[in-house]
Amino acid sequence: MIISPKKIIGILEQNTLTLIGTIMVVFIIFIGVAAPLICPYDPNLMNIPARLQAPSLAHFFGTDEMGSDVFTRVIYGARISITVGLSIVVIAAGIGCFFGSISGYAGGKIDRIIMAATDMVLSFPSMVLALALTAAMGPGLFNTMLAVCIVRIPLYVRLMRGQVLALKEMQYVRAARTFGESPAKIVLRHIIPNCLTPLLVQMTLGIGDAILIASSMSFIGLGAQPPTPEWGAMIATARIYAIDQWWYAAFPGLFILITVMGFNLLGDGIRDILDPRSKD
Amino acid sequence: MEPLLEIRDLKKTFKIKNFFGSTTEVQALKGISLSIAKGESLGIVGESGCGKSTLANLIIRLDEPTEGSIILDGQDISHIKEKALRKLRSRIQIVFQDPYSSLSPRMTVEEILTEPMCVEGVKTTKQMRDKAVELLELVGMRSSNLSRYPHEFSGGQRQRLSIARALTTEPDILLLDEPTSALDVSVQAQVLNILTSLQKQMNLTYLFISHNLAVVKYISNRTAVMYRGKVMEIGPSKNILMSPAHPYTKKLLEAVPIVGKPFHQPDTEDGSVNDGDIVDGCSYYYRCPFAEKRCLEQQPEFLAKEASHLVACWKG
Repeated sequence: MIISPKKIIGILEQNTLTLIGTIMVVFIIFIGVAAPLICPYDPNLMNIPARLQAPSLAHFFGTDEMGSDVFTRVIYGARISITVGLSIVVIAAGIGCFFGSISGYAGGKIDRIIMAATDMVLSFPSMVLALALTAAMGPGLFNTMLAVCIVRIPLYVRLMRGQVLALKEMQYVRAARTFGESPAKIVLRHIIPNCLTPLLVQMTLGIGDAILIASSMSFIGLGAQPPTPEWGAMIATARIYAIDQWWYAAFPGLFILITVMGFNLLGDGIRDILDPRSKD
Repeated sequence: MEPLLEIRDLKKTFKIKNFFGSTTEVQALKGISLSIAKGESLGIVGESGCGKSTLANLIIRLDEPTEGSIILDGQDISHIKEKALRKLRSRIQIVFQDPYSSLSPRMTVEEILTEPMCVEGVKTTKQMRDKAVELLELVGMRSSNLSRYPHEFSGGQRQRLSIARALTTEPDILLLDEPTSALDVSVQAQVLNILTSLQKQMNLTYLFISHNLAVVKYISNRTAVMYRGKVMEIGPSKNILMSPAHPYTKKLLEAVPIVGKPFHQPDTEDGSVNDGDIVDGCSYYYRCPFAEKRCLEQQPEFLAKEASHLVACWKG
């Protein structure tokens, strides 16, 4: 199945929510990439005399308790969050797909072992498990990513296993077996390309979730450590100023909202675009 | 003449485990013996669930037979390992019933047709492409279709693509598992014509599975009638269809609706009789109007009605 640009534009025209989601995601990625060009200040530049200023033309989002420009820090935060979200999802999906397809295709004992491990991870609340893992490995952005990644893997294992189980009985997969294609090649050539749709949808929705969990971890102090301009960490520091200096916590919060909502709306949109039943 | 493919006493039992761990056994094939000579086409008919497709799956080794042997050119292939089997895979190929699920929706026609050759790994990319064009022409399609995707084709065209794919490795035997039953009548004729002309051109051997007696008559020299995992009658298609000897074959032929004749509903209620517990006797016992005591106690041997026309019935 080929997706024409025309079809994508058609869907965006019809579906306002997808359009909004796409704009949000493009916006966040753009500011993340172009951060040094947009920002007038250094994100870690301290300017104590100008601390906790309200939003003005010099400081669009005001300044924080060290006098750093909140606008600059929020923009740089987009870089961190996008990197964190993407790497968590890509790594988790990669590992998850690998084990999921083995589980589904091989069946039997291997399947039972992989599914038992998956169920074990899934039986913890994901936030609590990620917390415990990070605490065990020591706080820090990298360890948080690793922990969230581990927590997210089972989702992809399950997704892939289900897909493989269904696709394995398709006649084109059986046909591939009759001309002697090896199991690894069957999975790579026939099964994975045909379950890209649900995988891509799950991954896009997963980016939002991953960013949210990583930010929450930073908020409780286990993820990114101040003065890293990470949104969750910024809100954590801003908490004590929240009543008098609303801008300090509000803007990082707003950007988390935009990013997560953008990816969620985009994920729903991708589902529509990749659905072969939606018209060309 | 030495048969190209011989099947001896082939049995397949499926085990179904229930929730409490006890297993129920379903005998899909209860000992099938057939032989096919080179260049011949053997039709297999029978009602749904009689084991026709299981037979095809066993011959092409998508499933392991429980007992019995499949002999290709004097070599027993029924239990050889996957690696050794890979070399023999190219000699037997299959065309499935459903033209919609038998082609991967994300591969172009070229990718679909060259895949079996990639597995063989003998040809260069250019040679494979030429071969793909040649195959498309064989099934009456233009080479401009190479870069298109399966969803752009109709059912008949897709089935022709499936046939082309099955022929990429130049097999000796083609298993046709109801290749026309999902198609319109006009398209059926087209596909059947292609199959007959291909058989002449390439000296192919067909095992043609169908429940449509007219189609089987058109394409096959010999026909085997199956019922509940057993062959009931086997012989030249003309004999089977014009002078059937087995009560089941007679009933099958009666059930074919003919335009202009009043249609009598076949007495299907007989079919609901539980006859899973017949161990020694004839599996058709409970439905057979001529059944007698001997039929329940002893499995009927094949009796030769004519030299090549065998009937598994005490009364044949």
